[in-house]
Amino acid sequence: MTAEIATASEARPALSAAAAPRFSGAHVSGIGFKEVTVAYGGLVVLDALTLEVKPGEIVALIGPSGSGKTTALRAVAGFVRPSFGRITIGDRDVTDVAPHARNIGMVVQNYALFPHMRAEENVAFGLRARGASQAVVRERVPECLRLVGMEAYAKRYPRELSGGQQQRVAIARALAIRPQVLLLDEPLSALDAQIRRSMLDELARLHRDLPSLTVLYVTHDQTEALTLADHIGIMRDGKLVAFGASRSLYRHPPNRFSAEFLGRANLLPVTSLEPADGGLAKVRFGDTALMATNPHDLPQGSDCLLCVRPHELRLREDVGGANALTGIVESVQWQGDAHGIVLDVHGHRLRLTSAPLGEPPEQGTKLALAFEPGHVSLVPETKGG
Amino acid sequence: MADLSVASSPAGARLPSGVWVASPLVVLAALFFYPLSLILRQALFGEEDAFTLSHFGEVIGSRLFLDGLHHTLVIAVSATAGCLLLGFILSLIIAFVPFPGARLVGRLIDTFIALPTFLVALAFTFIYGSSGLLNESLIRLFDLSLPPVDFLYSQWGVILSEVTVYTPFVMRPLLAAFSLIESAQIEVASSLGARPLRIICQIILPAALPALIAGGSLCLLLTVNEFGIVLFIGAKDVITLPLLVYDKAIQEFDYTTACVIAVVNVALSLGLYSLYRLAVAHLAGSRAGLV
Amino acid sequence: MLVWSRAGRLLAWAAAGLLFALVYGLPIGVIALASFSGQWNDVLPSHPTLTHYVNALHGDSAEQAQVSIITGLAASAAALLCGSWAALALRHLARLPKRVLDVLFFVPSAVPSVSVGLGLLVAFSQPPVLLNGTRAIVLIAHFVLISAFTYGNVSAGLARLPPEFEQVAESLGARSFYRLRRVILPLVSPYLIAAFSLSFALSMGELGATVMIYPPGWVTLPVGIFSLSDRGAIFDASALTMILALATLAVLIGLSRISSRAAVR
Repeated sequence: MTAEIATASEARPALSAAAAPRFSGAHVSGIGFKEVTVAYGGLVVLDALTLEVKPGEIVALIGPSGSGKTTALRAVAGFVRPSFGRITIGDRDVTDVAPHARNIGMVVQNYALFPHMRAEENVAFGLRARGASQAVVRERVPECLRLVGMEAYAKRYPRELSGGQQQRVAIARALAIRPQVLLLDEPLSALDAQIRRSMLDELARLHRDLPSLTVLYVTHDQTEALTLADHIGIMRDGKLVAFGASRSLYRHPPNRFSAEFLGRANLLPVTSLEPADGGLAKVRFGDTALMATNPHDLPQGSDCLLCVRPHELRLREDVGGANALTGIVESVQWQGDAHGIVLDVHGHRLRLTSAPLGEPPEQGTKLALAFEPGHVSLVPETKGG
Repeated sequence: MADLSVASSPAGARLPSGVWVASPLVVLAALFFYPLSLILRQALFGEEDAFTLSHFGEVIGSRLFLDGLHHTLVIAVSATAGCLLLGFILSLIIAFVPFPGARLVGRLIDTFIALPTFLVALAFTFIYGSSGLLNESLIRLFDLSLPPVDFLYSQWGVILSEVTVYTPFVMRPLLAAFSLIESAQIEVASSLGARPLRIICQIILPAALPALIAGGSLCLLLTVNEFGIVLFIGAKDVITLPLLVYDKAIQEFDYTTACVIAVVNVALSLGLYSLYRLAVAHLAGSRAGLV
Repeated sequence: MLVWSRAGRLLAWAAAGLLFALVYGLPIGVIALASFSGQWNDVLPSHPTLTHYVNALHGDSAEQAQVSIITGLAASAAALLCGSWAALALRHLARLPKRVLDVLFFVPSAVPSVSVGLGLLVAFSQPPVLLNGTRAIVLIAHFVLISAFTYGNVSAGLARLPPEFEQVAESLGARSFYRLRRVILPLVSPYLIAAFSLSFALSMGELGATVMIYPPGWVTLPVGIFSLSDRGAIFDASALTMILALATLAVLIGLSRISSRAAVR
């Protein structure tokens, strides 16, 4: 009964905001996880997750399956109950609030459009469930369908729509209630590659149109995360192993797992770090001295990993010079818009991608390689990280 | 206000399901478990309201009861075996040698489940009865003086009727199990040179085994409980436990004996039912294991 | 496809056709034939007649048909309500109580119908509730026997419903009753209809419990058919069986039409 009061007080302002310009910043709110722990029968699936999604931001949680990313999203939605920790939406603690009173929009992997309702009825569902007036429904439903480019399909049943169209209706349905936050659970994984690409553009455009919308986006696909998210959290075994602005997380991964999971990185073991000017440091790779950025301020003399993205490696004409390596070609792959070359560099395997080569090297050829010190970074070597 | 809602909403969400489930449970208790317990009470206390096992002793030692139990078990086991064999063959053809209208035939057999069981018993008197279709034909054909086919009024008549009636119960899970076998598996096996019999033994049968066990135990349960067929065939010396309960209670008004027999019958049924549940649970488990 | 050669396939089909005809076609065929026959002294019956149907549509038999249909509809409706109620209530219970209750709701289907009848006879022939000799006891017997099937059908439907539908509805702000009315019930409606038609069919053909408890003046079709065939009026019994089977099938087909329309939508 008291839950009822809560919805009423939370939902009504959202509905009456219809007069304001659409999706104005009236209820811009973020999501806060404070040491959220979820365990099923002794098995910890989410381990003391602390994370903040700022208002108007897209945060992507990525990680392999079973890493706890979906559990984290479902905890925000209210479908799993944390055994410890608090969850806030805006400045409201929702840990013990029933899902229907949380004012969130959710889009799941298979969309879960109600098959017995037309597209417009699906979009109207949340409004009607909250007791919105007919006038609000009549205004809001076409508005949301237009937002996702589906106004022409309002009368269709879900089974008459393609996967991408169902996806759009599902997003419109989630947006219709003017949610404080939007939760997207692997929203593109059921689509085939081409449609996925264009839906990704659509989602980016949607967020440009609704800059105040806070989005938590769960995916296992690094391209989706890098394209959309302002911040990315990388999950593994129920723990958040890295969190940061997308670009800096990509360029300066804080540990081996992040470096390998977010964009496939070449990791070379290097030794005897010596800090240098301009945030750089000098390290030794075997006998070779190399320069790289030291974003994590690793101390002098430490052993660490050098993270070189495949596209940062360049082929050089001459041998020698700064940050130069030589490698023997193990295999060459033509990938249409690029060439992929696998090289053996002093017993370590390095991948290099370059624009299509006129004369790709033969297997067994010795090649000279180089990279900019500012484009590669040092990663602490930690056990299990 | 928001704080109030925080504290009470999860408890409020959990409490009702317990309350909701109470009402159908009360109905079930009053209309099913209460009568069932009174059967047990009457079997143990008789009409005199004094606890005694003598009714049990008398009835269970009697020739009539032992014959009834014997018939019940023989009929149930034989009918189940027949259902499994017939059901397996028919499902095999419907699933793996598909013909136009195979689905329709499958659905027709399915609706057979909904028809009263005694329909078959009645039909069999026309077909296999002493002056039925088969006997008349044989008498005319070979100029016989006595009807040559005489099994209907024995337990074989009951068994054959039950096989007809209960085969669909085996086919349902079997067809479901067959639909899970990838046709590619069979095609690959064929391309590797396996003959149909080998494919059946090595691919289809193992995949269908849980379904056969589930369907078979369901059949066993239903045939032990079957009443209409035995009543309609009405053979004097084929008396099963349910028929015995009916005879004692309705023809002889001997409720105490009827209750004792009913207790044994119910116990037997519940045992078979647990077997069935175990089989189904195993079936679900092995399916989950495959995924 | 298991048999690749054309001859083999034809052989398999012929064998299957023969089996089907022998096992399922023949019984229904002879009942149909008998229901139209005046005499059956030869291999095939002679003197085709509609007398048995005329008999069936008058007097006792017509009344029995009415009794069966009323009992079937009332018991099925009650079972649908109770079974769906139980299935819906059990959905959110914890694992262990759910399994225990699930078995309890299924048990009536496992007990021989004659024993159910006997139990009701014993229980309701003594205080506090006297129902012996009333129509209500027949209704109760049918309800008990079919409620497990309704429960089973509805809970199977609910189990097949992906949890996302309800979760999305909940996240959109729908409360439990609204979710039930607008999402769950429409989505399981094919199962509700199937449950109802199966219960109706089972009730129409119920014999074991009814024969133990029916009061005079409330005779169902199966009991009537049995007493006809017991008296030797097997042609009349056949005609009545045909009517029973056709009425059951008509209801089944009609309801499955509705249910497939509901499923398509």
